[in-house]
Amino acid sequence: MMKILFFGPVAERVGLRELQLEHRSGMVLQDVVTQLKAVYPAAFEIVCFTAVNETQTRDMQQLLNDGDEIVFMAKFSGG
Amino acid sequence: MDAVRLQVDDFSVDQEMTALRATSLRIGGIASFTGCARDFSEGRDVMKISFDAYGKMALAELNRLRTEAIEKFQLIDARIVHRVGTVLAGDQIVLIVTGSEHRVAALDACHWLIDELKARVPIWKKEITPEGDSWVTPHP
Repeated sequence: MMKILFFGPVAERVGLRELQLEHRSGMVLQDVVTQLKAVYPAAFEIVCFTAVNETQTRDMQQLLNDGDEIVFMAKFSGG
Repeated sequence: MDAVRLQVDDFSVDQEMTALRATSLRIGGIASFTGCARDFSEGRDVMKISFDAYGKMALAELNRLRTEAIEKFQLIDARIVHRVGTVLAGDQIVLIVTGSEHRVAALDACHWLIDELKARVPIWKKEITPEGDSWVTPHP
């Protein structure tokens, strides 16, 4: 399983801070985006950054592994 | 105290300054920035502000910023504290303290750090107002 985390405004739109997704061999980041976007379109309207295992990435073809932690994030507003 | 922290509790500017000064007698200039919770924003009274953070990544990025600032501006030391959870209007939110041999580096680094923090650190701010709560869209 992969752990999907949400924070701030994205978490509010999803209605969850965490969910688990089954990993399938050959799965890439885009597969997760496509799957979740279909269920949470309003949340993905504001997603600007993605991180896999605490590292930001823009590579939607990044291969995922079982146990990965993926985070979809809106524009930051700290400080 | 660690030089870089995310914490719920308030911080003491004096204590952070003292900690920074203790690192070296070579420090000739200290600059600081304190971000505070305003009680008015976008035409509405603000009672509280709530901060959410992707903690692990936020702390890692804050540490990275400190290291980059020390190298870029040849600082002697720097400290960054950002609160998470809920703060009241008027409360402190974030502190950056920089120390260098001469004032220009400390001042420039302090400015750079808060600008970079706002762009790079996964923290989100929600304003709690009588008209309702809303996540802040960052200013360009």
